[in-house]
Amino acid sequence: MIENAQESESFVKTWLIDRIAYPVVGFAILIGLWAIGGWFLEANPATSSFVKFGLVPTLKVVPGLIESGYVAEHVIASGYRLLIGLFLAILIGVPIGIALGLSKITEQVTNEPFQLLRMVSPLSWMPIVVFVFPKWDQAIIFLIAVAAIWPVIYATAAGLKKVDPAWFKVSRNLGANFYKMLAQVIFPAIAFDIFTGIRLALGIAWVVLVPAELLGVSSGLGYAIKDARETMAYDHLTAMVVVIGIIGFTLDTIVGVLVKKYSWQKDV
Amino acid sequence: MAAEISTTQTSSAAVDVIVMVLRRLVFSALGLGILFALWWFGGWLLESNPATMSFADFGPFPTIDAVPYMVQSGTLFDASQASGYRLAVGLLLAIATGIPVGILMGRSNVFRKLSNTPFQFLRMVSPLSWEPIAVIAMPTWDQAIIFLISMAAVWPVAFATAAGLAKLDRAWFKVARNLGASWWDILKEIILPAIAFDVMTGIRLALGVAWIVIVPAEFLGITSGLGYTIQDSRENLMYADLAVTILTIGIIGFLMDGICQALIKRFSWHRN
Repeated sequence: MIENAQESESFVKTWLIDRIAYPVVGFAILIGLWAIGGWFLEANPATSSFVKFGLVPTLKVVPGLIESGYVAEHVIASGYRLLIGLFLAILIGVPIGIALGLSKITEQVTNEPFQLLRMVSPLSWMPIVVFVFPKWDQAIIFLIAVAAIWPVIYATAAGLKKVDPAWFKVSRNLGANFYKMLAQVIFPAIAFDIFTGIRLALGIAWVVLVPAELLGVSSGLGYAIKDARETMAYDHLTAMVVVIGIIGFTLDTIVGVLVKKYSWQKDV
Repeated sequence: MAAEISTTQTSSAAVDVIVMVLRRLVFSALGLGILFALWWFGGWLLESNPATMSFADFGPFPTIDAVPYMVQSGTLFDASQASGYRLAVGLLLAIATGIPVGILMGRSNVFRKLSNTPFQFLRMVSPLSWEPIAVIAMPTWDQAIIFLISMAAVWPVAFATAAGLAKLDRAWFKVARNLGASWWDILKEIILPAIAFDVMTGIRLALGVAWIVIVPAEFLGITSGLGYTIQDSRENLMYADLAVTILTIGIIGFLMDGICQALIKRFSWHRN
């Protein structure tokens, strides 16, 4: 009993140190560097007009931006586009990935065209997309989906390839039809890979979202950045950069937890 | 007899290889053919609808017609060169910073735990949101774009390097030290060869992100590069030029990614 209590106590202690103390100190160092940067801007007359990039001016505007609903408004606009774009990428990407993973011929036929399309930088579709879609919202969603679909496809296909073919045989021998096999064998086996792909897709979608919102629309995080720059509200600008970082970090952490939850391989 | 059998075996193996290569070629040609057919069909749809007729230049034939002009006038070459320079310098800076940071993360537990949260946070700041700050901080637009590319590309390099180091067997360092290796020897003879594969994997990811970032970064402020050419042809309603540029971006990206993949294979010391 006593040993157990000691063990759990030391476990809690390491957990506190690793999960709380280190990140807090690490973050404090980052904030300290920011404060020093702001102080340098202030000390130099040539850059004193950019003082608002510093830590203190930025922190001062944050409560106002949150209370006025400015942050929420743009976060919701961007979040909506991101979610629909990612959802479409997953909805189309997973079936294509399964087809590539199950059939060697599909994989070989699609290899070159898919790699070529994948390496077209997503924002270069922008002019075409703007003609095709009646609304800017839809154009941005398309750009996000087109950027995010590739990691989903390739992670799904790679996951299927790792699945032991004997499992298919066993499940067929046990009388499973294709849907049973999909639900009971394929999906549980590749859930981990799909989430790994979604995590990569989220990262890329996040990269694409901001420049896509720099043009045309008047809502969203990208627009907020542009707006702050044009009105020279540099404190708003850094506040929005921080908001973008926090939301991206939170989303990435959530998907990271899902990846771990669905992992059935040892220590991944 | 034995020699005869082995020659027939080698020749049948050679036939197998030839069949495999031919299969590959046929499938690739088929895939690209399907892509071209879809493009042609899209162009035909644009052409046959009076409402979209003015966009018919997006189709494959007007696009192919525009290629010789864009090559001869030097537009394509100049744009690719300008973008290539920014991409190369940006990636080089990302690699030169990312590898040492990654090695530090992999070798020092304290540094890894301290830096993890702030680095993950900085990684998830969408690179283009640094743009206004980069433009103010850097004296030229070229440097601002290079900064944006490095900012996007440094994270995959650093994290892949750290992950590669984490997989290393601690005993190797012990053995090397027992054999009298200095810190420099360990770096050169053990760490770098062992993580070359992971670093290359990171560089490939970094290239992918850099390639995404460079086009929107070139939309603003400058008058050279592939992103600018996209913007310019759109504003002048030169849709065939636009399609040629998109195709060029795809082909250059495809080639660079292929080179990275070949290098990853070359540096791989894991089984298969």
